Formats: sequence, structure tokens, C-alpha cells
Amino acid sequence: MSKDKLFGLIDMDWRFELTKFKLIRALFKSRWFPLLPIIFNLFIFVIILLAGLLGGYSAGNYNFGIMIVWILWWVMLMFVLVPVFSRTWCLMCPFPIFGDWVQRGALFGVNIGKPGGLNLKWPKALKNMWVMNIFFLVTTFFSGFFTVRPLATFILLGLIILLAFIMGLIFEKRSFCLYVCPVSGFQGLYSQFGMAEIRSKEPQVCKEHKLKTCYLGNEKGYGCPWLLTPFNFKKNTYCGMCLECFKSCPYDNMAFNLRPPGVDLLVDEKRGLDEAWKSFIMLGIAMVFFLSMQGPWGVLKDMVRASTLKGYLTFIGVHTFFSLLIIPAVFLFFSYLSKVLSGNKEVSLKKVFINFSYTLIPIGLGAWIAFSFGIILPNGSYILHILSDPFSWGWNLFGTKGIPWTPVFTHLLGYLQGITLLVFYLFSLVYGFRLSLQTYPKFQEAKRGWLPICALLTLTTLAFLWLYIG
Amino acid sequence: MKRNEFVAVTLMILSTIGAIFAVSSYEFYRRRTPEYFFVELIARSPNNGNWYPKEIKVPYGKKVKLHIRNIETVSHGFALPDFELEPEINEIKAGEVLEVTFTADKKGEFPFMCTVWCSEEHLRMSGKLIVE
Repeated sequence: MSKDKLFGLIDMDWRFELTKFKLIRALFKSRWFPLLPIIFNLFIFVIILLAGLLGGYSAGNYNFGIMIVWILWWVMLMFVLVPVFSRTWCLMCPFPIFGDWVQRGALFGVNIGKPGGLNLKWPKALKNMWVMNIFFLVTTFFSGFFTVRPLATFILLGLIILLAFIMGLIFEKRSFCLYVCPVSGFQGLYSQFGMAEIRSKEPQVCKEHKLKTCYLGNEKGYGCPWLLTPFNFKKNTYCGMCLECFKSCPYDNMAFNLRPPGVDLLVDEKRGLDEAWKSFIMLGIAMVFFLSMQGPWGVLKDMVRASTLKGYLTFIGVHTFFSLLIIPAVFLFFSYLSKVLSGNKEVSLKKVFINFSYTLIPIGLGAWIAFSFGIILPNGSYILHILSDPFSWGWNLFGTKGIPWTPVFTHLLGYLQGITLLVFYLFSLVYGFRLSLQTYPKFQEAKRGWLPICALLTLTTLAFLWLYIG
Repeated sequence: MKRNEFVAVTLMILSTIGAIFAVSSYEFYRRRTPEYFFVELIARSPNNGNWYPKEIKVPYGKKVKLHIRNIETVSHGFALPDFELEPEINEIKAGEVLEVTFTADKKGEFPFMCTVWCSEEHLRMSGKLIVE
């Protein structure tokens, strides 16, 4: 039993295995799960695409596509799915289903013959988060349209689904989800904070099981579609929680655990600049989104919505420069201060920079949750309307069409945002010091080296507090 | 296993092609109610294209169901002073779709217009109903 306790309260090694309940294990081992949720979400996304296409240039507030994707789904991702259940959205995501179908030659069953499609390997140089980073950043260039123009949402989702299918035809397994999908990238990063994980129960059982069926597959389940080795899982970042390892493990040695938030941040495996930049980009986008969507500056809204070409290009330039260069440069400066103050000459600046970049994950997630409060509380009531009239055709399927726009608890918005930012700031602090202990070999070095990073995290939180509620 | 595969593929088809078919069939059925002559009218400020269509032709003596769809981010209104609208419209909020009915019991050309100050060009936001 570890003596390390989060906030002095929760043992960092604490786990609660949900799959110890027979019903849940049976569900996870059934081939209908997650196929049925995927098919259900496919149905929802067909309606979203239809609403996006038929809604055309109409306003977004009464459009099913915009409301479900950018108000409900996005907020659910940030509130619950990622911070609590890690990557459970990937579990039920319908985007790769067509590619999977072609590759496997089956929707339900396990086809252990030669896979369909070309099954090429993804280029080694791109086996990281960089493509996802750029794809996600470029996607945000059009953020001014997605929330107000249904057609823009249709084009974005249509492109993602089409790309997932084409990549499924060309590359092996879930290469699209692993290396390209813009939604996958930030989920992977923030799922390190998530309170759920899939891990092997007894490492010894896996060690003695020579035929690694979780990786290779058998008649019960496919080898890990995410090209991982489930018997050796250490962190959530690249596990799409597809549950195939539960099906293919003959010893029922996989477990779905609840755990303290953030423990993956301390797992020193596959840390790299790509994940560091993902943190910076997510932080930058959170700031830019707040400024352009929820802030009082109309001129910024005009720039993001391309009222003039010059303004729009300025937005793209500043946004890119800020997220890709300014934030990393500031972080590099504080990392340098950390190294100098620590007095340690052996640890490389790169290692200091990369390790401490993980302190931005709780703060970034907190900023996104706080931002999401500003989306759902004022706009959530539109969801009741669009459920009854998804295409703005005057339908009234559930009798809720007439419910007027009703902001909910908006008088508490500032408090909720402030508390969220402070809570996640505390998480950044407690993990930050542990990361410092991992980075510098001596306790005194770690203490001194931690100070500049602690100052930066405090300044960042103050900046967000000022932005959101100042 | 083959039965399960068949069920899975059927569910997949229902959730995609089936959904599209169901949506379009329902709307098609709704619009071709024999009792009404159906017209969809899109509300846009004059600088964004004005009413579409600007001229509506309806048959004399028929009940008309008018769907007015505000596709803009400002409120609009609708008035057709020569006919009794059911229900009366005060405001069509941004993105909203309102349904009104009336009986085209007079022949001729009749103006319709926006009743909410929607832009500097608001006064030009008008169209024509032709009953023939």
C-alpha cells in the first residue's frame, strides 16, 4: 500500500474495480457492448448531419446539430465523460464504425481472417500527437461558424467521418483515432486526469500468458484496435476503452477501475513534446474561445466570425502564434528558471520543460469546465426545444417546442467558474510538486525548482479568474 | 453468430438510411396535408436577401399553412394585413420557426411585411402574396 495520499486524504493506489460486479463484467464481455451505444450514437449523428445540412445558413440556437454537438456533447465531454470516465466517449464514438466494418468484414462477430482494406502502417515519424494538435488547432480557426451556422457543423463532422472511413481503408486498425482525430487528442491528454482506467488485474497472470490475446486477438475479441499492449497498460492517454481486451482475455484479467483523479500525470511513460504542446494548445484555445465567445469584446467576435478578411486573418495569426509559440515560450522561460533555481546541472532543460508541462493538465481541464458552465447554463434550455423540433420545421415531437429560452442559474455562473478554476489549480499544485520530485533527484532541488512553476500556475489561474469573473 | 450479425447490420441500416427515410417521409407526409396549401417562407433582412420567396402564389379559396423560418440572429415579425392569421404573430425570434394559417378568400395581390425593427433596411422588408 502506497503512503502517498492525494491532499493527504486519498491513497494514490486506491482503486475500485467496477468489473468485479458480474453484471458489468458480463456487459463488457458481450459483443453487443459497445456496439449498441455506437449504433445509437450513429443514429444521433445522422440526425445531427441532417439538421446541419437542412439547417443550412439558419441561426444555430434552434438547430439540433449545433445544440447537440456544441452545447450538450461538448459540455458532457468536459463535465463528465473525460474528467470522470476518461475516454468513454471513444468507447461509444460512431466515427470509425464504417472503417472498422470494412477492416473486420463484420459488425458483430470476430473475423480472424485477413483484414479488409490496405492495412498499411501509419508513418513512424507521425506516431505522436502532432497531427492531432495541428488538426485541432486548425479546426478552431472556424469556431466562429460552427456555433452559428449549421452547415459549418455539417461540413466539419462530415469531413471527420469521411476521413475516418478513408483512413480505415488505408491504414491498420484505429490509426485515425490514434493519430489524427481532433477529438481524440485532447481526450487522451485530459484522460490522464480522468477517474477511470482500464488495467490488468494481476500482472503475473499476463506475464505467464504467453499468447498475448489482448494484443493479437482470438475468436472472442480483436487484438487491441488501438495498437497497444493492454497487458502492460500504465496510462490512459492512448487507450480508447473499446473493451476488446475484456473479450479476448481468457483469464478475465482486465479491470475497469475507478481511481483518484490525476494519477496518470505521475506516470513517466511516453512523455514528450507532442503532449506538452497539446497542453499549451488546449490552454490557448480555452483563452481565445472565452475571449471570442463569452467575453464582452464585440470586435473579437467580429474577427472570429470573419466580418472582414483582414480581421479574420489577424485572428488566425494571433491565435496560432499565441497557442503555438507564446505560451510555450513563457513556459520555457519558467522551466529555465526552475532549472537554474534548483541548482541541478544534470537534468536537461527539455526534461524539466516536458515534465512540468503535465502540471497544465488539471488547470487546462478546469478552464474548459469553467468555460463549459458559460455554455450550458445560458443556452441549455434550447436543447428541450430542439429535441421536439430538430430541423426547425415546426415539429413538436415531445411537446417541448414552445419552451422559451430560459437561462438557468446564470447568477451563479461566476461562482461556479471561480470555484472550478481554484479546485483544479489545487490539483495542479499537488501534482506539480510530485512532478518536481520526479524531475529533480534531491528533495531540496525539487523544492527550489518547483517555485517558478508554482508561480506560473498561480499566475495562469489568476489570469483565467480575471478573464472569467474579473 | 450469423443471426447476431444480421441483427447488427439491420440496426446499422435502420440507424442510418432508415433514419433519413423516416425523417423525410414524416416531413413529406406533414407537408402534403390535403386540407392545406403549404408554403415555406424564409425571413431575412433586406441586406441579407429579404423574404424568400418575395412573391407567394396561392390558390383562391384554399386554406394556407405558412411556415415562417427566421434564419437570422435577429428577431423578425410578420404581418399580412388583408387576412386573418391564426395565430397572430408578434415576434419571430432568431432561429425560430412559426406556423400560421389563413384562408385565401380574396383574389388579388396583398403585401406582407416584417413588423419588428430588424435592421436599418427594415422598412424594405416586404413581399407580395398573390391569390389566383
